[in-house]
Amino acid sequence: MSSGHGTAKAAVLINAYTWIFDIRMMLQALTKKIWQWLGSIKLTIVILLLLVVDMVIGYWCLDRRTTIFQPLGDVGLFQWTSTYGLHNLLFTAWFFVLLGLLAMLTINTFICTTEKVITLLSRKRSFHLGRFWLRLAPHIMHYAIIVVLAGYLSSYMLADVHPGQTLVPGASLTIPNTNIHIKFSSYEPHYYQGKRLDFFHDWVIDPGAGLTISSSTVQRTAILSYNKPVRYQGYTIILKNFYPKKKGGMSPRVYINLSIRKDPGVVFYFSGMLLFAAGLLIYVFLWVYLKTEGRR
Amino acid sequence: MNYRITMIFLNLALLLMLTTITGCNKEETTEGKKRSFLQIGEFTVTRKGPDFTEVRDGADRTLILIPRDAELPQGYTRHQIVRVPVKRVAAWSNFDVSALRSLGVLEEVLVGVIQPEDKWHIDEVKRGMEAGKIVYLGNSNAIDFEKLKKQQPELALTWDRSVIPMLNELEIPCIITSAPVAMCLNARMRYVQFLAPFFQRENEADAFFARVSDALKEIRELTSYALKEPKVMWGDIYEKRVLVEPGNAWVGELVELAQSDYLFEDVYGTSCIEISTERFLYSGEDADILFTYSSPSTGATSKAALARMNPLLGRIRPLKTGRVYAPMAHYSQSGDKLDEILIEISAILHPELYPGYELRYFIELPDIDPVIPGDQS
Repeated sequence: MSSGHGTAKAAVLINAYTWIFDIRMMLQALTKKIWQWLGSIKLTIVILLLLVVDMVIGYWCLDRRTTIFQPLGDVGLFQWTSTYGLHNLLFTAWFFVLLGLLAMLTINTFICTTEKVITLLSRKRSFHLGRFWLRLAPHIMHYAIIVVLAGYLSSYMLADVHPGQTLVPGASLTIPNTNIHIKFSSYEPHYYQGKRLDFFHDWVIDPGAGLTISSSTVQRTAILSYNKPVRYQGYTIILKNFYPKKKGGMSPRVYINLSIRKDPGVVFYFSGMLLFAAGLLIYVFLWVYLKTEGRR
Repeated sequence: MNYRITMIFLNLALLLMLTTITGCNKEETTEGKKRSFLQIGEFTVTRKGPDFTEVRDGADRTLILIPRDAELPQGYTRHQIVRVPVKRVAAWSNFDVSALRSLGVLEEVLVGVIQPEDKWHIDEVKRGMEAGKIVYLGNSNAIDFEKLKKQQPELALTWDRSVIPMLNELEIPCIITSAPVAMCLNARMRYVQFLAPFFQRENEADAFFARVSDALKEIRELTSYALKEPKVMWGDIYEKRVLVEPGNAWVGELVELAQSDYLFEDVYGTSCIEISTERFLYSGEDADILFTYSSPSTGATSKAALARMNPLLGRIRPLKTGRVYAPMAHYSQSGDKLDEILIEISAILHPELYPGYELRYFIELPDIDPVIPGDQS
């Protein structure tokens, strides 16, 4: 009786193990299928086509709606989503779709590239060193794109931004929660004096705003202009606007508008760009080199 | 190995998504209701709690509105804090003064303006200035900050960003009420809803918006019967510059809405935007109606007078065979009568739909200045 009971128990256990084994195998097969599907070139093409369609829609949605999208850089992705994003869903839905598509593209690129890199590494010995790097270079560029995208995402999620900071000559401000002081110390605008664009004659082409930035340890002076932000202890000081814009304008009062940001994403996208440039250089150099060698 | 990597990657993505979703849900449920958010052009109002409202002004600055007796919230500088309801206000622009009137708080709160007494057409302001409650603070280029400080305003409404550092020094919170992009029609109608939380007058703001919305509905219905689409331009040529209202400005949108053709519809940007003389004259060849910025008090007494002031302007069609309208002196101080102004503009565009309408905010310029008997000049 007891031996029969034991046999039945063993059969149940074997059944259970078989069942678990089958499930495990199924899961493995499923994971493999998902992996292959996520990394397939067909998916890449579908995502890229969808991206084109989505961005065409985005083009129409962005037109004359800067007031909806501009705050994204200031308030961050989460806050923007819960306010401007959801409030104007008709015009922002394309952006959320874009985020989803970019996430899919990132996954797709990562899997596809990783697959290829693993295969390449396993066959490393069968390649000439130059050929190996020539084949690896495009993958470096793909990884670089992922790093750049990750950088932008972290920028929109983690940046500490202080927009709308106004200074007049002689005035100063302190960056919140720091001991960094910024003083608007000089204003030496450069006016357009050329003849080709008569309309812009006497307009300021470079405001040349002098800043004196100091903290408990370091003090430095810097000239701030459009496209020439000033960097100091991890903060970037960006010129958003200035006044007057031309000689003899309506109001002689001088002021500059600043946006101050500490952006952890900068490191990522600069690294990504460097990585991309390195990949591109390796590819171009080796392609030319191997072609020349082949001719010889 | 690649399966493991994919599982790790997918799990991370799933975790991120779950965090986001739960994070969003938490935000909505902690207060027991959905967070309310109002966007009015560049201005926003976000209610973060019953006694905590965050606003964003025209210069992208964030301010916090808290009750007068509340403790200072952490994480904000003192320049960002406004105690509500605000009881003393200094206002730079006519537009803001008329917005205060729309909210029904003008007489109660206004203590400083930057136009002298003889320039005002609002009875409450004139009375306040006579009584000494409202003080002239000097013109925008020469504000008397000592006088301003003496008035002890709890809030300054200004378009001038250059005064922010000085107001910060005086510890007077301020909001910038102009924006780099011209106000669209919806923003123009809702602007009082941006100011309302400062004075806890949300009901008055909603009533104002409803009134203007009704006027707009009426215009839309009536002008749908219009047979002609007049071509309209809004702007002026000055000595060195040509300024117009862009297509994204409320006037441009209103003209289009009232079955008319706004000739600067393609121009986008700030209010009173500068364009080239050639563009202005090109549009002027087709235009039927010109709304000029100049008023009779600045010399725009007739089409001939306008052409004398600027001969180039004399080339455009409205001055030759069309119609030209100039704002009356009280127009810029009548923002609280926006519904009437919108109807008046519609009546100007389609006089056939508004028989017997008498203009109250604009004046149609005659071809030549009327001859005054006995005037030998």
